[in-house]
Amino acid sequence: MCDAKAVKVLFKSPVTDDMIRFLTNTTLRVIPCDREQKNAYPSPPSSPRDTQPHKRSLPSLMTFISRLVRYTNVYTSTLLTATCYLHKLQRILPRDAHGLPSTSHRIFLACLILSAKFHNDSSPQNRHWAEYTDGVFCLEDVNLMERQLLQLLDWDVRVGEEDLYESLQPLLEPIKLDLQRSRKVMARNYYHQRNISASSSTSTLVGTPSLQSLKSVPSWSRLPSLSRLSSSSSLSTTLETLPDKMALGPRGHSPHDYNAVAMV
Amino acid sequence: MASSSQFKQLEKLGNGTYATVYKGLNKTTGVYVALKEVKLDSEEGTPSTAVREISLMKELKHENIVRLYDVIHTENKLTLVFEFMDNDLKKYMDSRMVGNTPYGFEMSLVKYFEWQLLQGVAFCHENRILHRDLKPQNLLINNKGQLKLGDFGLARAFGIPVNTFSSEVVTLWYRAPDVLMGSRTYSTSIDIWSCGCILAEMITGRPLFPGTNDEEQLKLIFETMGTPTERTWPEISTLPKYNPQLPQHLPQDLGALLQSQTREKIDSTLVDLLYGLLQPNPERRLSAKQALNHPWFAEYYQ
Repeated sequence: MCDAKAVKVLFKSPVTDDMIRFLTNTTLRVIPCDREQKNAYPSPPSSPRDTQPHKRSLPSLMTFISRLVRYTNVYTSTLLTATCYLHKLQRILPRDAHGLPSTSHRIFLACLILSAKFHNDSSPQNRHWAEYTDGVFCLEDVNLMERQLLQLLDWDVRVGEEDLYESLQPLLEPIKLDLQRSRKVMARNYYHQRNISASSSTSTLVGTPSLQSLKSVPSWSRLPSLSRLSSSSSLSTTLETLPDKMALGPRGHSPHDYNAVAMV
Repeated sequence: MASSSQFKQLEKLGNGTYATVYKGLNKTTGVYVALKEVKLDSEEGTPSTAVREISLMKELKHENIVRLYDVIHTENKLTLVFEFMDNDLKKYMDSRMVGNTPYGFEMSLVKYFEWQLLQGVAFCHENRILHRDLKPQNLLINNKGQLKLGDFGLARAFGIPVNTFSSEVVTLWYRAPDVLMGSRTYSTSIDIWSCGCILAEMITGRPLFPGTNDEEQLKLIFETMGTPTERTWPEISTLPKYNPQLPQHLPQDLGALLQSQTREKIDSTLVDLLYGLLQPNPERRLSAKQALNHPWFAEYYQ
């Protein structure tokens, strides 16, 4: 229940640097890959006929993911759901599997493509995905990585709610905390309104941002009795009717945060 | 994983939405199969329809859903190996026409087919899958009178908060009014409307609402079922393509309408079920489970 709400909040927010960092780290954990600059033996540059002028040097995985996000304007949900495939792959691959420098880039892109194809009614063609890599991969590379991933996953690209909660846990935890806290703020305002009636206007209630960072909230332990109120059904309805942008996560600060707190 | 050399390709069975289907023979087992061949376009990569159809059907094991046995994936061709079925409901209905006059099925057969259709749909919905293209062509039948759902090329998983549902789904004649008005928040009720249209078509041998475009399709639906109002369908005005100046039609007597097109007896429980499946307001439509528990099917569950 709480997870479901947190996923909704997460998917409605724009793609953040935190998410890209999370995806980068998750991808890097799938399989250990050589780093280009850490070759054990120095090797001479390749022969002139081998050079492929259209292929650019490999950017860092984080840069690669950031560019894909910027070029494709991908939905947060599509992007983050790719994490479920990354985790699945991590479980499938043998422990001693080892990749080339570009392997993690391939793995991430293939997972993102399958997430887009499975979860959206319209999605880019592989030709477009190849263009979005800025010349890192050509169309044949993209087709091959997609086919290989489908075979590894044995075509099972379904994602259940539980998969999402498990894979996205690090991103969901702070939202769940915020949701709990905002419920308490709601409860408090509700309590406040009932007791002081007309003196606190409804606009204060509606204007209360549902999410605040921990540091902006003074010790909640002072208000133990209020937690009981948060289960009241009328309060959860109020929470659901709040505009989405109020539930953006720790970034959604506003000067009103303190007003709500100061009301106590 | 099977290889293509294991199957002998026999006659062509038809063209699907994105593939060609052949009859095939498994040379090792001697069992007939249906081979659905998808030509791969290198620019597109693996078609999203194939990704969904394979992923969703692989684990969907039910006697009223065509079984997907295997997938053969090469660089330029993708072959899906399915359970073989003798016919589809559309061809079977066409074969019963006398000259140009369509004939519906005997009521016992209508009931048996609709029961199996709803069983298959209920299983999909339990597994959080929408078929989104139910129509006689996609319902496969065999000589034992079994009916199975096929062609999951438009199917989608639902239940996790993913986005972009298109309203360009379901073949026009079987498309629900909320989807025709641009709804993208539809769910299982989208398949139930199609089940209602198919039930009426099996009775009369004629499609219930044979529109030629979106506007005409809605007009045909409302002429028979009555134009919805804010009272019968409170959320109707929020739909993207809602037209507040819809001509007002009163609901017709669906039972009498169907009775004029068949010699079989249309009883009041059947009419009640049809109204349950063909509620213009998706919120009011029966679920597959509810439809299976309807008194019209009493002989199957008693």
